[in-house]
This record gives sequence, structure tokens and C-alpha cells, in this order.
Amino acid sequence: MTRNEYVPFSSHVLQVTRHTAIEYTFRMEYSGELKPGQFFEVSLPKFGEAPISVSGIGDGTVDFTIRRVGRVTNEIFEKYAGENLLLRGPYGNGFDVEDYKGKELVIIAGGTGLSPVKGVVDYFSGHPDEVQGMTLLAGFKSPSDILFLEDFGRWKQTMDVILTVDFAEETDNSCQIGLVTEHIPQLKVKNKKEAAVIVVGPPVMMHFCAKGLLESTFSEENIWVSFERKMCCGIGKCGHCKIDDSYVCLDGPVFPYLKGKTLID
Amino acid sequence: MGYVLKTKDMDAILKKWGGDAIIFAPVRYAGQSEFSGQDSIRYGAVKSIGDIVFDEKSSFTFKEALLPLCETLFYFTENSVKEADGKEKSAIIFLRSCDLHALRVFDEIYLNSGPADYYYARLRENARFILMGCEKSFRNCFCVDMGTNISQNYDAYIKLDEGNVHVDNKFDGWTADFESAAQSSATVTPDYVTDTDVHVRIPENLSLDVMDSNMWTEYDTRCINCGRCNFSCPTCTCFTMQDIHYTDNGWAGERRRVHASCMVDGFTDVAGGASYRQGNGQRMRFKALHKVYDYKKRFGYHMCVGCGRCDDVCPEYISFSTIINKLEQGMEEVTVNDEK
Amino acid sequence: MDMNTKKLKKNAFRITKKRYLTASRVRVPGGHMNAELLAAVTKIAKEYGNGTVHITSRQGFEIPDIPFGDIPKVNELLQPLIEGLHINQQAKDGGYPSSGTRNITACIGNCVCPYACYDTTAFAKRVEGAIFPNDLHFKIALTGCPNDCAKVRMHDFGVIGMTLPQYDKGRCVNCEACVKACKKKSVEALKTVNFKVERNHAKCIGCGECVINCPTRAWTRSSEQYYRLTLMGRTGKKNPRLGEDFIKWVDEDSIVKIILNTYGYVKEYIDTSAPGGKEHIGYIIDRTGFAEYKKWAMKGVGLGSDAELRETIYWGGVDYT
Repeated sequence: MTRNEYVPFSSHVLQVTRHTAIEYTFRMEYSGELKPGQFFEVSLPKFGEAPISVSGIGDGTVDFTIRRVGRVTNEIFEKYAGENLLLRGPYGNGFDVEDYKGKELVIIAGGTGLSPVKGVVDYFSGHPDEVQGMTLLAGFKSPSDILFLEDFGRWKQTMDVILTVDFAEETDNSCQIGLVTEHIPQLKVKNKKEAAVIVVGPPVMMHFCAKGLLESTFSEENIWVSFERKMCCGIGKCGHCKIDDSYVCLDGPVFPYLKGKTLID
Repeated sequence: MGYVLKTKDMDAILKKWGGDAIIFAPVRYAGQSEFSGQDSIRYGAVKSIGDIVFDEKSSFTFKEALLPLCETLFYFTENSVKEADGKEKSAIIFLRSCDLHALRVFDEIYLNSGPADYYYARLRENARFILMGCEKSFRNCFCVDMGTNISQNYDAYIKLDEGNVHVDNKFDGWTADFESAAQSSATVTPDYVTDTDVHVRIPENLSLDVMDSNMWTEYDTRCINCGRCNFSCPTCTCFTMQDIHYTDNGWAGERRRVHASCMVDGFTDVAGGASYRQGNGQRMRFKALHKVYDYKKRFGYHMCVGCGRCDDVCPEYISFSTIINKLEQGMEEVTVNDEK
Repeated sequence: MDMNTKKLKKNAFRITKKRYLTASRVRVPGGHMNAELLAAVTKIAKEYGNGTVHITSRQGFEIPDIPFGDIPKVNELLQPLIEGLHINQQAKDGGYPSSGTRNITACIGNCVCPYACYDTTAFAKRVEGAIFPNDLHFKIALTGCPNDCAKVRMHDFGVIGMTLPQYDKGRCVNCEACVKACKKKSVEALKTVNFKVERNHAKCIGCGECVINCPTRAWTRSSEQYYRLTLMGRTGKKNPRLGEDFIKWVDEDSIVKIILNTYGYVKEYIDTSAPGGKEHIGYIIDRTGFAEYKKWAMKGVGLGSDAELRETIYWGGVDYT
């Protein structure tokens, strides 16, 4: 008998961390195989489902960093520790840390794009010896939009961190000002041809980052991207996330840039 | 095995089958087109051969029997989820050769690509398919060019001929029914067309580059993104989820899925307001290339089965076969541009 | 020259400004006819008129400049038109027996127009058959849908086609084409609730936009045919005004009956001293009061359960007096 992929299971909200006024991280009960970059369909009955990427993997837990942008996420914000959400997943390929081991790794994240890649950052932050060097270049709109601020301190101990905001009324020294793309030429990478780069963020940001990376002599074949699309099913049926011959939910959301650049909606 | 039956004996067989199956076939719905005084031919439950419309093309398709337009997946309360019961009766579906080829597309996506779809599998498992032949092609058909004019993978083939029913049966479960009711045995082979008035040519060199062609811009204004082409297409498989709550305060409700159209607004909307393919021309490009380009890239054969229903139903007289035939020039245009 | 103008007018000829010349008024109920019949119009115009034909505002033809003396010959030539259009006639070759009740006009209807909710010509012919010939001054028009291309609200009786939308929620995929069409093109009687559509029946005008725009046949038309009947619109020198709703969701038989009843009412109450014995019904109702008219109009009328009958009506319009 075919397994019913559509019926969700119930999971406890263990902890809620507030990053900004509209961005919270929900730590949920979950044990099972998981990769950073994978996603779950998170739902509240009567409000619907939304695909949410895994922003952290713990022992028996999974983190979802949710931006309050729609009907479902609005309601999820009413949920606090001790209550339940419905989940199904994980779906998608996720990031395979094996792809980056032994290399110089650059992770460029824009806004909530940091969520799907955060598991990779966490992993190498805990295993710095498994890469030849690591840089995190994270950009947000303004200082009040910065996510995972408490994690940045920890990450700084094991990697180069460039935290930048598009604009700020006042500057302190906690972050720089400017688009992430402006920092690409200054990346301290010994061997750009061989370095692995992950770019995650809004489509326009990913486009210009890739352009900047190629201009800085990074290699196309060493770049990975992650896509965000409407996904109703997560299992290649509903058709909303299909681009060309690829289903983002099945074949992605993580794509080698060489494939990703051909996926034009 | 082939048989000739009297219509009344075939009706008796249908009545027997009707005990544990719903028989879906094209039916005439009097006065139920969008315009007054006009009938609509679409799928419905039938009780006798006489209910079935053999001589006209339906404007909707068999797919509604396997993927209902609106299907409840499960019911929920705040703390529990209960899967929706399956149908008590299985489905026996009358369809044409093009439709049987479309069934392959449904099976490909719903059973073979990624995890299988539980609800589709449940309806598909015991479904039986009865082929209706085509003595001549209908307007807008281009099945021959898509290679879908012939089908062998039917459970039975049924043809009406002067009060008699000619049957070619391939399903063992029905053999006894036909054996006992048949007037005589006969060699029955399905009627199929070998030519159509409309022809299409899909260029060999077709690639995504064609999205930059100007051929799509006319559809920005001609197309009204109503989605009729998708809803009437036997190979359009997309759906959208909906959560329904029964009362304002309560938590009880159900999750449904409904057919979705890549031409209709909202298809690509992601939380936060972003969406892709805002223009109708690019939506048309997305749909067209899915039907005759990228599906094949993934699965090895074209999705479009050439039934021409999208042409039949378009209120703006946009012809899909014409779009296919424009692709060649579209490719020439973008190739020339590249060379510049 | 001696000519009984009363008789001439009743025979559907006009007293024109050109002395001794008349014009023949050809009625075409429902405004639709076999094209071959046009030959008769052409022949009359060429042989007895000045070779021109006026297409009238009431969907008929007026063939001008016919000498009085040719009237009998013209009446003979009108015979194929009268027969071809199934006009009630007492004496063959005598032309039209009456002209007071005007041609029943209609928009093109559902034989052609996608918006029309019924066959306007067929209904117009039914009304014509029921009321013609009649000398009383009645103006009746039929239109296929609430767009009212036939401007029926400027008539004594206006008939507007309606369909009662039937909703199969199992076929609805919430594309909102109906909701958008109803909002933009009609009265915003539809709204989405729980991914399905709710129709506000009180607001709905039965235009059928939801049905026309539905891509899945979730909306279909009712098998019963419904109409909106409007009353006593008029043009003229005293108090032109638009017709007001009398019955919404009314059936065809009731409409025919109400019109016939109105003839009885007018015969009872018409001002016999009115010039030419001609008085618009609306002015009679203004005099007797609406309640008295309604009593007459509804005699023996058995409305369907869907029908919504107006208790009373007040007309507005421009008052020149």
C-alpha cells in the first residue's frame, strides 16, 4: 500500500526564539534523518500549510525560522512553547556537507536565506578542521532585520564573518553597510578556483552574487544555490514549483549553480 | 477476445458492473454550457450505453474520475487528523485513445515520479478503462502527430454499430460477462484515425531559449488567463491545497486539494507576496514548453496528447497547435539574435 | 382627396408632412426575420415609394413617400411579410389590422449573443401572437440579459432575461473568475468563503456572468427560465421615466398573462377624451393608483415560488409639467 504522504504528524513546540519583530525560530520535536536545506510542510489545520526550511538540527529537535509574511505564518506566530504544530517531511535534497569538506567554503546568505544554510554554518562551526577555511557573508536589510544575532558571536570564533546591512540610520561596529555583492571582491579566499560557495537568498540577490563571484574568478561548478518556490505537496505532484524539467521540491531546493542558472521560471 | 452483443445485453452488463463500480463516460448535460440553450459534453456517471456520447468530443476529461476537481484529503480537529475514506465503488472509465495516453502521464507523475500519491493510487488501483474508438478525427485534434491515435492498453474496447455493441475484451474479470451475453464472437479491432486536419511540428532544436522569442508577447494581451485550457487538458495534473474550517471558532475542518492552473493568478505566489511569470505570454510559454518540451526532457515522451480540447474551449480562440507550430520560427528568431 | 386618417393609421400607414403621401410601417416582432422577406420591402419601396427604407427605432421598416392611392397595392405586397412573420391578420391582402400596440422589440438574444439568457425573438413572437392586433398604445420590449441592450426600461413592459445560477461546489477550484467578473461587470453578489463561493440571492440580478466565466462548469444555468419584469417606462412630453421593477424571477407565462390583463385595465380606465383616444398606460396608473393597477394585472396570475413581487412602485423621472 502506498504511504499517505499528505497526512501530517503532530509535533511539540519546545522553544520559541524571537529574532526580530516578524521573525521567530520555533524549536520542534523531531527525530529522524535530516539535512540542512531540506524543508517541512508546516501546517496549522484551518489555516493551511507552508513549506518552511530547516534552520537548525539538534538532538531530537528541528528548528524552523519563520518570517511572518502570510496567512499560515501569521497564525503560527500565535503558537508558543508547549503547543503543537503539524508537520510533514522532510522534503527536498538539502545540502550535503560532504560536498564542502576539505575545501575553502564561502557561504553568502541574504535575509531569511540564512535559515536553510544555517545548518551548514553550524556544522562547520563545530567541525572547523573539516574545511580549509570558511567565510560567512550575511546580509540583511537593516540592523533590526538581523537573524541569529546570538549565533554570529559563536560563528566568529571559527570562521571569517562579514555581517552587512543594506542601510542603517546609525552605525556601530557590529556590522558593515552595503550589499553583500559589494563584499565579494574582497573575500579572503586563497584559491578562488577551487573554493566552494553556497549562495542563498532572494532571486535577484542570488543572480548578482553569482555574477560577482564569476567576475572574481570563482568557478561556476563550485557554486551551490537554494531555491524558494510555492510548494503545495513537497513530493513532485502539485506542479507549482516545477521549473523547466525540474521540481524544486524533488530535485532541489539545493541545486549546483550550473543547473540552477538554467532554471528560469 | 471479441464479441457482438445486443445493446440491451450490454446495458445489463453495465447494470451488473454498476453494483460495485461507477461508470464514468462523456455525457450530454443539456443546457449546461456557459451559454444559454447550449449543451455541454463532459464526464458523468452513466447507467446505460445510451447515456454515453460517442460522436462528440467531451470538453472536460476522464481525469476528474481519478483526480477529482475537489478532493478531501483528511479531516482534522485540534488534536487529531483522520484520513478521508476512499470511494466505496471503483471506477470504470470510457475514454479515447488520446486519453489513454494521458493516463500514462498521470501515472508517471502520480505513481512513478517521487513518492507515489496515496489518493491517486487508491482511485487508480481498481480503475478499468474502456476505449472508445475514433472513426474520424474531431476539430482541433492532432493525435496522429503526437503518436497518441492508437492505444492497446485498454481493458475493453466498445463500439456501437446499428443497435449492436462490438466489444474487444482484454480483462479476464469481464470475460464471463461477455461470454454469456454475446450473440456471437467476432474479431473486433478499435477504430482509430490515421490523419487529422490539424498538424503540428515540434522543432528538433527546441530549447528554453525560445522563451526570449517575441512569439509569446501577443498572448500577454490575447490570453485572459482563465485556465480553461488547463482544466480541460487530460494531462494537466497540478493541484492546490485548501484548508476549510467548519465554523469560525472551532478547529474542526478538512484539507482539500483542487485542480490548479498555471495560467491563473496565484499559481506561483510564495509567502510574502513574490510571484513568478506575471505576464500571460510567459505563462503560455511555461505551459506550452511543459507540454511539448520539458516533460519529455524528464520522462522521455511528450506530455501533450494532441486532443485539442484546449483549442476547443479557449474563449479567445487561442490555438495551442498554432503555438506549437510557431516554435520553429521562435527558435530561428532567438538563434539569429544569438548570432548577432 | 378624401382620406379617413383614423382608418389609415389603424392600417399601419402614417400621415406624413408631405400631403397626399403616406409611409408604410412594417412590424418585425423580435426584430429578426428571414432575409428573403426583405425582398417585399425592397419591392414596395421601389415600386410605390421613393426607393428608400427607414429602419425604425422599433425594429421595423418604414417605407416613405407612398401615394395614398397605392395603399391597396402596397397592402397586397405586404402579405408575404405578414404571413412570413406570422402576424395575426383578419383580412388577407388588407395589410396590418392595427397599429396602436407597437412592434415588440428584442435584442438579438441567445441565438447569437453569449450573454443572453433566452431566445428573445421567440418570446417576442409569443407576446405578439397573444396581443396583436390591438389598438391600445402599448410598448413592449425584451432583452436577453441585464445589460439591457434593448433599453426595455423605456417601455411600458420591459422583460429582462435572468438565469438562476446553479453552483456545484464539488467542481469549484476557487479560481475566483466568477467573483471577479461579478464584481467588475455586475453587482458583486459573490464572495469567497472557505475557498468556495457564496451567492447573495437578494443582490443577484441573474446576469449569468458567473456561469459565462466559470472555467470548470461549477456554475451552470438553471433549467427554469426566469425574467425581471419592469413596468411603465416611457418617453414623451410630460414625464419621461425609466420603468421600475415589478417582479424579479418571474416566469414567461405570468408575463404574458400580466400584459393581457393590462389591456383589460386600460380599456376600463382610459381617458376616452384623450387626443386620438391614445393615452400612455403609465398616465392611467398615475391616475388610478398603483394598487388598482396591480389588482387588475395580477388577476389569475400564479407566480412561481421564486418570484419576488414588488408591494408598491414609485416612479421618478423628469417632470416637464
